[in-house]
Amino acid sequence: MAGLIRLMVIGFIVLSVIYVCLSLYSRSVRKGKLRADWHEEQPDQSLDAYLEEGLKEYDKSLRRKLILSVYVIPLILVSVVIYLTNFA
Amino acid sequence: MLSLFRWTFWITVWAIVASFFHYTLPQVDIVRVTDTYESRENPTSFTLFWAPADIGPDGNELARDVFFIQTRRAKGDVMVYRNEDTGWGWPPYFKFDTSNLQAEASDLASTAAEPRYVAIKHYGWRNEFMSIFPNAISVRAVDGPDAAKGIPWLNIIILTTLAALVYGIWVRWRRFRKSRIDPRVEAMEDDFADATGAVSGWFGSWRKKP
Repeated sequence: MAGLIRLMVIGFIVLSVIYVCLSLYSRSVRKGKLRADWHEEQPDQSLDAYLEEGLKEYDKSLRRKLILSVYVIPLILVSVVIYLTNFA
Repeated sequence: MLSLFRWTFWITVWAIVASFFHYTLPQVDIVRVTDTYESRENPTSFTLFWAPADIGPDGNELARDVFFIQTRRAKGDVMVYRNEDTGWGWPPYFKFDTSNLQAEASDLASTAAEPRYVAIKHYGWRNEFMSIFPNAISVRAVDGPDAAKGIPWLNIIILTTLAALVYGIWVRWRRFRKSRIDPRVEAMEDDFADATGAVSGWFGSWRKKP
């Protein structure tokens, strides 16, 4: 049982680090794209306002929520491996 | 000299990476189970190659009984597998059915006169000097000594995914370095060059009196 707790704690820490890194990276990629769009489209808005609006939209997007699969996928993988090793 | 050092370094790194995967990823042997036994083990050296002591019901006991599966491989040599839970630890096989596996292996035991072949999935190494044994994961009966081992899909998927992941991170890191770190280093070098130029110029103005 101690093993399970250890796995969960370490797993949570490692996955959280990955989650945070991936979130920051994905957001910065979106920011870069928005900036490129602004230069291309030349809208009336200022760059800052344009970025803020775009990122607000990004925060609500499905793509951002998909990063949560960083936690979900390992959980599914572990369940599948447990089944295949012990019960298949 | 520097290139020799660099070569040694990278060969060592790749050897470690390769042996890590060779140890951890599953492999299949076609064997004939000759016997199964249980032995009191107290691994004090090379504990890395045994399951951690706290996997079993009593985590405080260091010495414990370990199941073993004795086999003769289809290619002729003998191989002894240990049969231990990996539990929730490393490597992540999440194996809890050690006793069941031992029962299956005992059931499949056969003699040289009436051989019955099984495919035994395992990971790990056998080393006589270190007294380490590969850990059996599963057994299944097969037709004969020439039975196909099957395509190692799992290993292919794992290695491909990891390679893609490492390549992706590496490419992004390089891009980041090129756009953010290299220009700063160059700017610092330029500043430094300017500064030294100014200083030596000042010294020069000292030396050369017009």
